[in-house]
Amino acid sequence: MLRTVLLTFLNEFRLLMRDRVGLFMLLLAPIVIIAVAGFSLGNIYGALVGAHAYGIPLVDQDHGAAAKAIVAALDQQAAVTVLPVPDLDEARALLNGRARTPLAVLIPPGTTSALAAGHAAQIVLYVDPIKRLEISTIEFGINDLCQRITSVAHTQARQRIASGDADLRARLTRISADLDALQDGANDYWRQIATAHSQAELAVSEQVRRQMHTAADALRAQTQAAVDQSIAQAKASLTAQLDARRAALVSVRDYLAALQVSESDFNRWFTALKAAAGSHANAIPPPPAFPAPPASAAIAELSKPIDFPLAPPPSLDSSTSAIPEASIKLPPLPPPQVLPTAQLRNHLEALAPAVLPVIPGTLGWAERSANGGDVSINSFDQYVPGFGITFLLIGMLMGISLGLIDERDWGTLARLRVSGAPLAGTLIGKLLARFFVGLVQMLVLLAIGYWTFGVSLGRSPAMLLLPAAAISFAAAAFGLIIACVARTHDSVMPLGAVAAMAMSAIGGCWWPLDFEPSWMRAVAQFLPTTWTMLAFNNLMIRNLPPVSALWPSCATFALGTTFLMVGLFGASRLYE
Amino acid sequence: MYFQPGPRVEEIPAQGPQQSAIISPLPNGSPLLEAIGLHKSYGPRVVLDGVSLSVNAGEVVGLLGPNGAGKTTTLSLLATLLEPEAGVVRIAGATPSPKHFAMRQRLGFVPQSIALYPSLSGFQNLEFFARLHGIPKRRAQSECMRVLQEVGLADRAHDPVGVLSGGMKRRLNLACGMVHGPDLLLLDEPTVGVDPQSRDHILETVRRAAAAGAAVIYSTHYMEEVERICSRALLIDRGKVVATGSITELIALGGRQPLMEITFHSAAPSNWRDGLIGVTLLAHSGGDAKVMLQLESFALVSPILQRAREAGAQILEFSVHSPNLSDAFIALTGHVLRDQVPDAH
Repeated sequence: MLRTVLLTFLNEFRLLMRDRVGLFMLLLAPIVIIAVAGFSLGNIYGALVGAHAYGIPLVDQDHGAAAKAIVAALDQQAAVTVLPVPDLDEARALLNGRARTPLAVLIPPGTTSALAAGHAAQIVLYVDPIKRLEISTIEFGINDLCQRITSVAHTQARQRIASGDADLRARLTRISADLDALQDGANDYWRQIATAHSQAELAVSEQVRRQMHTAADALRAQTQAAVDQSIAQAKASLTAQLDARRAALVSVRDYLAALQVSESDFNRWFTALKAAAGSHANAIPPPPAFPAPPASAAIAELSKPIDFPLAPPPSLDSSTSAIPEASIKLPPLPPPQVLPTAQLRNHLEALAPAVLPVIPGTLGWAERSANGGDVSINSFDQYVPGFGITFLLIGMLMGISLGLIDERDWGTLARLRVSGAPLAGTLIGKLLARFFVGLVQMLVLLAIGYWTFGVSLGRSPAMLLLPAAAISFAAAAFGLIIACVARTHDSVMPLGAVAAMAMSAIGGCWWPLDFEPSWMRAVAQFLPTTWTMLAFNNLMIRNLPPVSALWPSCATFALGTTFLMVGLFGASRLYE
Repeated sequence: MYFQPGPRVEEIPAQGPQQSAIISPLPNGSPLLEAIGLHKSYGPRVVLDGVSLSVNAGEVVGLLGPNGAGKTTTLSLLATLLEPEAGVVRIAGATPSPKHFAMRQRLGFVPQSIALYPSLSGFQNLEFFARLHGIPKRRAQSECMRVLQEVGLADRAHDPVGVLSGGMKRRLNLACGMVHGPDLLLLDEPTVGVDPQSRDHILETVRRAAAAGAAVIYSTHYMEEVERICSRALLIDRGKVVATGSITELIALGGRQPLMEITFHSAAPSNWRDGLIGVTLLAHSGGDAKVMLQLESFALVSPILQRAREAGAQILEFSVHSPNLSDAFIALTGHVLRDQVPDAH
């Protein structure tokens, strides 16, 4: 028995390795379908789908801040690519002609101003009704977007109002303080004015007095100067005249001196003459006598400067006594003005709360993962295990049932039986081989999903072995049942395909189980796909601890065991 | 083992599977296989109704019958693939059962279909079936090569079965049923659709197996094959044994007499057969220019020719047809077409 199991097991692997179509169905086909489904339906889960995002033609007729915010917010949506177009005609053309373009967005003119003025505003969505599913997905996103923009606007308005309120109160405080300061300033100013008033009076008086003194001094100086000038002029004139006369006297004096010299010279000459006249000396009458010259002092007196001891002019009286003391009085200041700051402050404080508007808050919602994980999921977290199971089922149902039918038709099954190989051993060997192939298929798909599509492997990737093994076992066992029910190639294909598709669909491999009506969910409880997807979802999407996959996997194993019993019974009836 | 090492297998160690200990030695004269009163029906349709046969070790027994006669069902019962509703099968004196795996391992079954894995090579097919029959891996590999050479496929050992010709597949199909050296070999039309060369090869292989001591049941539609390799034959029709015995006995049971056809240059004289005893005119044409005569014995051929010459008839040509197994087959089963529904389960 064990020998049969082992040999059949190895032979199945050898057969599979030669079966290129089978290998394609095992690996390449699921990867292709997973990729297609993930990229096609990923937006349902709000997944990041990169270059395959929906295109949304957008006509901005507003060009305001709100429009810019809408465009920016749409641009940040991973599932959406904004296609700015100038007008609606071009938007319609894109809508009708471009793939993955389910709707266009029009931001009407005045949107920003309407929102700013507190009025309702609408953006208009032009939709292609055929693309209802995509439209709903995007509308959901845009609805959320509008809600967020409105919420942000409300928040900003509230912040502005709160800020304005604080600013107003600060201003009022500042005004009040300013008023107080103004009052103080006014008082101070009044005091300063009063002081200035007094000082002005003194200053004016002083200035007047000083000006009077200055004027007097100037007058005095002017007079003094005039007197001095007159005196000087007189003195100069006199001096000039005296100098002229003194010069004349000097001439006289000099003549006299010269005369004296000449007298001496004459005397010597005469002496000489008499000496020369020798004999005749006597004959020479005596020269007339020269008058006696005045005394030298007298002559010197002639050249002395003439001194005019002019009596200094009488000095002008510089004393201020002559100037009368100025006493000027300015008109009296009015009494200081008292500002009504207290009343004003009271009025403003009473007025401020009344004029500040209160904007009602916005009611929104926020998602939190019930299990602490991420609320948004990678669509491939659903599709990799989901379509992996689908193709596992197809591979199992087709592989096992077609394999058995082939063996029967070829005659190898009969030969196996004649060889002494127990049918149960042959079947178990085949199922075991397919079980391992299925297990490896699931693990490879999960690995490819992890490396290629970024699927989550949960807290404990090793735990994924359990549901993968469980569904491989159950699918292999179910394949045996199909082999018993469908006895020809022609009947295996439709029956196997329908069974695999139905089990996958009802079991939640293609969409969440909750999409299904209650009766279908009830049916799903008897399908291994349901429990396996629950285990995978618990581990990969809900990020639950490994133990969460235990019970669903046990349920899958239990169903698989039931299938195996039924299949072995049927096969023994059919093939023995 | 029963395979005789041929000239091409000398380099292969002659290390065949050991003789089974399950099948105990038979007393002298006891058949290796004995089936008594086998009865099988599918619903209301009776497929086998009291079929009995026996095969001795070293004997090749032909299993003949028209389509739907019950040949394949008989083989399936003998191979323990089916259980009879009545009757007994004994192999070496023991009654096999589906659970008697060790005994089934001593059976060699070559089904009518090409019971091979098309994507595997001939060697892999052989090795798989050899291992299933309990032969250890290393010995199985040497046995596989030996058998491949025996059936003339050693040079195509590693080609996928799918690319082999029909004759090659048939030979490989036969090899898979014989790789473990069975004591009882059940062959279900092993030469269907093969060329004469492959047929000869297959027949020779079967003959050697029997010579080596295997008991062989050979089911076929080709009477000449039975005549060539079978010592006895069993003719069944509509689930019943119509005739059994040696080939000569079967031909005799067919009751056919020699036929003689004579073509004259011109119409023979009308009295040229007068006086010939044991000669019956079956047909004539062209005013006795061409006649078909039934003879009671071959000894009448010369007197007939002598008599024609004496009568002045100028013989252009003549032929004598000896009755064979086909004649007996037709004689015993009739000319009525059988339905084409397979008699397999």
